[in-house]
Amino acid sequence: MTETITHDIIIVGAGLAGSWAAMATSRAGVQDIGVVSKLHPLRSHSGAAQGGIAAALNNVRPVAGTGPRGPLEQIPPGEEPVDSWELHMFDTIKGSDWLGDQDSIEIMVKEAPSIIFEYEHMGCVFSRTPDGRIAQRRFGGHSAPRANYAADYTGHVLLHTIHEQCLKQGVTFYSEWYCLELLVEDNVCRGIVALDILSGEVHTMRAKAVMFGTGGYGRAFAITSNAYANTGDGVAIAYQAGVPLMDMEFVQFHPTGIYGHGILMSEACRGEGGYLINRDGERFMEKYAPDKMELAPRDLVSRSEQTEIDEGRGIGDDGKGIYLDMRHLGREKIMERLPQVRDIALHFSGVDIIDEPAPIQPTAHYSMGGIPTDADGQALANAEGDPVVGFYAAGEAACVSVHGANRLGTNSLLEASVFGRRTGCAIAAFVKDGGELQPISGDPAERNRQRIGALMEREGTENVEAIAQELKATMTDQCGIYRTEWKLVAALETIRSLQERFEAAPIMDKSSRFNTDVLAALETQHLLSFSEVIAAGALARTESRGAHFRTDYPRRDDQNWIKHTLAHQSDAGPVLSYRDVVIDWEKYPPQERKY
Amino acid sequence: MTTNGHRKNATVWIQRFNPDFDRRPYLQPYSITARQGMTLLDALHEIKTHQDGSVTFRRSCRHAICGSCGMNVNGRNVLVCESPLKDHLDGKGRVTIRPLPFLPIIKDLVVDRAKFWEHYRQIKPWLLPPDDLPEREFRVSPEEVKALCNAEKCIMCGLCYSACQVVALNKGYIGPHALLKAFLRTLDPRDSAPGERLDIVADLTGVWRCHTIFNCIDACPKSLDPTYAIETLRNLAARRLAFEEERRERQARFGEPVEVGPPVRMEPTARVESPVQTGQRIT
Repeated sequence: MTETITHDIIIVGAGLAGSWAAMATSRAGVQDIGVVSKLHPLRSHSGAAQGGIAAALNNVRPVAGTGPRGPLEQIPPGEEPVDSWELHMFDTIKGSDWLGDQDSIEIMVKEAPSIIFEYEHMGCVFSRTPDGRIAQRRFGGHSAPRANYAADYTGHVLLHTIHEQCLKQGVTFYSEWYCLELLVEDNVCRGIVALDILSGEVHTMRAKAVMFGTGGYGRAFAITSNAYANTGDGVAIAYQAGVPLMDMEFVQFHPTGIYGHGILMSEACRGEGGYLINRDGERFMEKYAPDKMELAPRDLVSRSEQTEIDEGRGIGDDGKGIYLDMRHLGREKIMERLPQVRDIALHFSGVDIIDEPAPIQPTAHYSMGGIPTDADGQALANAEGDPVVGFYAAGEAACVSVHGANRLGTNSLLEASVFGRRTGCAIAAFVKDGGELQPISGDPAERNRQRIGALMEREGTENVEAIAQELKATMTDQCGIYRTEWKLVAALETIRSLQERFEAAPIMDKSSRFNTDVLAALETQHLLSFSEVIAAGALARTESRGAHFRTDYPRRDDQNWIKHTLAHQSDAGPVLSYRDVVIDWEKYPPQERKY
Repeated sequence: MTTNGHRKNATVWIQRFNPDFDRRPYLQPYSITARQGMTLLDALHEIKTHQDGSVTFRRSCRHAICGSCGMNVNGRNVLVCESPLKDHLDGKGRVTIRPLPFLPIIKDLVVDRAKFWEHYRQIKPWLLPPDDLPEREFRVSPEEVKALCNAEKCIMCGLCYSACQVVALNKGYIGPHALLKAFLRTLDPRDSAPGERLDIVADLTGVWRCHTIFNCIDACPKSLDPTYAIETLRNLAARRLAFEEERRERQARFGEPVEVGPPVRMEPTARVESPVQTGQRIT
C-alpha cells in the first residue's frame, strides 16, 4: 500500500494553462494545490512556441503606403490606433471557419491585453519598440500586427516567467509523475491516480477539483512539430473516464516544419517576410491566396503546399518538401528576430537561412479538439452542456472552443494563458463555495498497479514502437491534410486492428525505477484510443471546414455542419453526438472565407 | 565500418546503471545503422525501441528548447537532440554516451537534478516588480533588453552546471545556471529588489566561488555567457548601494516613454522584393 495523497486542487500538466491555473488559484487564496507533470514543468511544450502571443496592443502599425507586406513602425503617442479587440475577434472567427464559439472568442480577445501586461509585469523579457513598448509583428490570418514577441522564443520566456511565479506562490509540484486515471463516478470527479516515475509507486490522489492542462495530441502523426511528450494523455484519460471529446477531427498542420523532421520553423519566418517557393521557383501562394499570400491562415497554406507536392512541384528526395526562402530578409534581421529558427535549420537541415532557402513540409502541429469546456474551464459531460462536477480543463487539451476548425498563429499561447487564468479562478471559487472531497469506491491505486503489472508481464511478438509507427503513418496518409471516405474507413480499420495487436506487444524493461518503457506503452495506448475518435469524427463530417478537408465533400456545408462533434467512449467505438456552435448571427454570420 | 550510400554502421556505447541491481555503472555497446540526418537522440530511440527497452534517458522537444536531454558524449556535455550522430563517431564508428557528470545517477542517462533546482530556487528567480504597476507595460528600451545578454534564453539544461569544476568540488556552490538567472533578474530595470538578490549571491556559495575556468561558456548550447554574468554580479555587489539608488531613479521614470522622438522605423522602408522571380528556378 502506498499513501493516498490529498489536495484541495490537483492540476495535471505544468505548461502555460496548468501553471496559470495554479497561480490564479493560489492568488485567490486556495493554497493547497498539487501540480502533477510527467516532465519537469520547464520542459513543457508551451516553451517550444516561437512566434508570439496575440493581443491588440496598438504598439505598431504598417508604414502608410507600403502595402500589406511593408515595414512596421511604432505608433506615435496620440495617433489613431490601427487594431482593436473587435478586429482580433473577427479574424479569429474567420480563422476558425465559423466553428469557434463566439462568446468564448470574445472573452479571449478582450482579456488578451491584460494577460500580456501581466506577463510583462511578472518579468517576461519581450522584444521592444524603440520607445520601449512591447514589439509586435504580423502573423497569418491576423489583419493587424498583433503578435507580441520575444525574438522567436516567446513561449519559452512565458513558460519560465509563469513557472517562477508559481514557485514564488509556493505551489507544490509533482515533477515526473504520470497521471494514469481520472476518477469520475456519477459524473463527479474525485481525483486521479498517478505513477511516481522515479520510484514506480502508484498513488491515489484525492482532490475537491481536478484540472487538466495536459496539452495536445500531435504525436499521432508521423511528421509533427510536437514534442515526444505530446501524446494526448489527458485527452485519452478523460475519454476513458467517460468524459466526451469535442471536435477531435480538427488537427492543424503547420505549413513550415523542417523537411523530414517536422520540427517547427516559426510562422514568424513568414510574418517577417519569408516566401514559400516550389520546385519551379514559383511563389505559388499567389495562386491560392492572392491577397494574404504566405500570411494566409495555416490550413490554407498547408493545403496549398500539399497540392503543389501532390502535383509534382515539391522538392527533396521524395518530392514532399517546399522551400522557405528568407534570404532577402538579410543577416541582421534574421539574427535579431529569428535566431532560434536559424539554429534549427542549421542543425537539422544543414542549411543557413541567411544564404539558402530551407526545405520544409507541412507538419502536424496543433490539436483544435479536446475536452469540451465552458469559458471557465468547466468540463462538459454531454451535448446538452451538463458539467462534470469538479473537473476542469484548459489549453490545448481543452476545446473551449475558440479555434473552431482552424487556429490562428499566436492565439494558442493566448488561449492557454487566458483560459488557464480563468480556470484557476473558477476552481478556487468552486473550492471556496464548498467543494468537498468525494468518496472513492474500490482501490484505484491497486487497480492501476495490477494494470501496469499485467502490462509488464504480458508476452507476444508485437513491438510497441512498430505499432505506434504504423498508426502515425496511417493517420498522416489517410487522416491528414486531404481526407476522403475510403481513406477514413481504411484508417478506422487499421486503428482497430492496431488496438488488438497492441495487446501482444511486450514491455522490455521489467524494472520499477524510472521505467520509460512502460510510459511509452501507456502513451501508445492513448494514441490508439483518441486516433479512433479523430478518424470517426472526420468520417462523419461530410464537409470541408478549416483544417478538415474532404476531397469528396470539398465545400463547407453551413446548412448541416455548423456544429461541434462530441464523442463518448463505448465498447463499440466512439458514439458521436453534436452540439450547437455559439454564433452571433447579427454581427458575425458565416461568410465565404477568402484571403 | 561499412559504407553503403548514406548508411553506415555505428556502435553506440551507453553507460548503464540501475542502482537497484548494479554495483557500479558499466558501458554497454549497441550496433545500429546510422541513417543520413540521424541525431544522437534518434540513435538512442532506435536502440530503446528496437533493441533494449530498458535503456533510459530523458527527452522531449527534439529541438533544444526544453532542456531535457543533456548528456556527456565522448567527454563533452551536449544536448543529444540537436547533435548529429555522424559528427560524434570516431574513425571506427564509435560514440560513447554517459550521463551528465557530477550529478547522482537515477538510472542510466537520467541524473538527479534536485540540487540543481534547489540552487535555482535559492536565488529567487522571480521578478519583484515595484508596487505601483503601470496600466500598460513598463517602458523598457531595446538597449536595456540587450544588456540582459540573452540570459532569458537559458533553457536550464544543466550542461554548464555539470561542466563546472567548482560544482564538482564544492556542492555548496549554487552554480552558473542560478547565477545567470540572478543576473537576469538583477539587471532587469523592472526588478525592485536587486540588493536582496545580490545579498543572496554575493557570498562564498555564490559569485565569489567561481574560479573563472570558463567551462560553462564552452558547454552552453545557447551561446550564453554565465562567466560574464558572474563578473557583473561581483561588480554590482561591490557597489550595491549606488546600484540600488540607480535602480530607484530608473523606476521613477517608468511612467514615461523611453526617448520620445520622431517615430523610429523598425524596418527598412525599401520595398521588399523577391530575390526569386516568379517562374525562375532556384539553383
